[in-house]
Amino acid sequence: MSTIIRANGLSKSYGSFQALKNVNFTVERGKIVGLVGPNGAGKTTILKAILGLTSYSGELDVLGLEPSKQRHQLMQKVCFIADVAVLPKWMKVKEAVEFVTEVHPHFNLDRAKHFLNKTNIKLNSKVKELSKGMVAQLHLALVMSIEAELLVLDEPTLGLDILYRKEFYNQLLAEFFDEGRSILVTTHQIEEVENLLTDLIFIRDGEIVLDSSMEEIGDKYVEVMVSREDAEKAKALNPVMERDVFGRKVYLFEGVGREQLEALGELHSPSVADLFVAKMKEGK
Amino acid sequence: MKTFKALVKREFWEHKGSFFYAPAVMVIVFAVMLVVFGLSGDRLIIDGEHEISFSEQLPKVVSSFEQLPEEAKEKAVTIGLSAPAMLFGFVMLFISMFYCLNSLYEERKDRSILFWKSLPVSDIETILSKFVSVVFLVPAIYFAVIVVFQLFILIYVTVGSWFGGGSGVTIWTASNLFALWFNMLVAMIGGSLWLAPLWGWFMLASSWAKKVSFLWGGLPIMLVIVCEGYIFRTTEFAQLIGERIAEGFAIQNYALYQLAGGDILDFEVNSALHSFVSAEFWGGLIVAAVLLSGAVYIRRFRDES
Repeated sequence: MSTIIRANGLSKSYGSFQALKNVNFTVERGKIVGLVGPNGAGKTTILKAILGLTSYSGELDVLGLEPSKQRHQLMQKVCFIADVAVLPKWMKVKEAVEFVTEVHPHFNLDRAKHFLNKTNIKLNSKVKELSKGMVAQLHLALVMSIEAELLVLDEPTLGLDILYRKEFYNQLLAEFFDEGRSILVTTHQIEEVENLLTDLIFIRDGEIVLDSSMEEIGDKYVEVMVSREDAEKAKALNPVMERDVFGRKVYLFEGVGREQLEALGELHSPSVADLFVAKMKEGK
Repeated sequence: MKTFKALVKREFWEHKGSFFYAPAVMVIVFAVMLVVFGLSGDRLIIDGEHEISFSEQLPKVVSSFEQLPEEAKEKAVTIGLSAPAMLFGFVMLFISMFYCLNSLYEERKDRSILFWKSLPVSDIETILSKFVSVVFLVPAIYFAVIVVFQLFILIYVTVGSWFGGGSGVTIWTASNLFALWFNMLVAMIGGSLWLAPLWGWFMLASSWAKKVSFLWGGLPIMLVIVCEGYIFRTTEFAQLIGERIAEGFAIQNYALYQLAGGDILDFEVNSALHSFVSAEFWGGLIVAAVLLSGAVYIRRFRDES
């Protein structure tokens, strides 16, 4: 397994505001990593640093290149969809396809045509005439036709309706992702990507608060539904979060043995959303 | 090279309206006006007393033209063909200015810069492609359109002369078309290159502007002029810019400028070919290069959420 992204002491300040504080993480080949955090936590800053769109201090290595200095070389191997609305509105679909064909050495025109044929997008339409969902389909078709090693997605489905959102990720998994490639994705709609992810990174106030594989998370975090009578016993084991469900209590535990918890009630794997809420509240 | 060609083509796609349709529509409008004038404007009454009968006048004008000595003929045809070119040239400078002012601003405004930057194209290539568009592509397209219009004028006048029994051939022989076209193409590109520092400045302003890029393009120049006037009581900077623009326009229309006596401006104006060996020309390109480097730097490191 090879490392695609390696960040070491990555920092970034906007004036006196520290957007990233000495962040360390790696992304391995063949992984789908979710980067999750509240607004202003530094997600977009990390992505921008990786894509060479912003300056930073510390070490950052993406596919052996230094993003802040080698953006245009990097973009031969990396693709990104910033959000749905960045394709130039004046452009015709066929012009977009032609342009990418000419400037991108790893673009496969036949693949792009194949993807576009499956949609209702007409080659002669201008981008501004397409619906938001169709623009996303077009962008995805272009990106999936590039032999990239890393795909970065920043809120790719923002503002799309549910049908397009589902299809977006399904297509990505079916047609793009394989062991040779990695995907790094940020989104607010965690539920949508949670079954796709192999790894999860939580970020809060410019610091990483969780960085592990989904398997590790399944082992380490357990939710227990406890009747009110047993609430005190559960509290004694230091749950990281509690919430009320149908008159019962649900406690989230980190690193507590399963046997110990089974005595209290039914065990579940927590959803990423619940884990996220717990992690964001931790220590506050 | 393939990338660069694609980038220039991209500029053409985006600005087809001002690069091509604007002059093409001008040609059509003028041509239609001339035809309508020729067919129906038999009696044009000016000030209620001067009557011009177009279809009677045109053959007369042509036949009196044919009486002229060779040199005067050539002069008359050159003026007849270059005067409309001047109008197109003026429009071209105007659209070039707005093109530069928006070149690096629009992409940030509509956020398409994130798409452009997701492709393996360097900021230097991108900005050079825009500069090349304004100094080569736009003059070349306007040139081609003007050529079409000039051919139309020649045919129009020829047909007009047939009504008077003439052949109109002398108009063509006196026009020296290929020399005229060569000079015109060089003059249009030369004029645009002469104004390179201006384009460079507008593109820098465009990469910098957060809002209304034309204010960023204009206000700093105004500010320097006002400050200089206030502190030193001089107008050097305003003169420098004014002369540069006037020279650029004179170079672009050198054929006319020369025929008009060559002394409209109170300094010497060179033909485009001559200006290529002047220090001012190369100095201008160096200034443009510095300004464009600034634009590259800003586009590369500008960080906008």
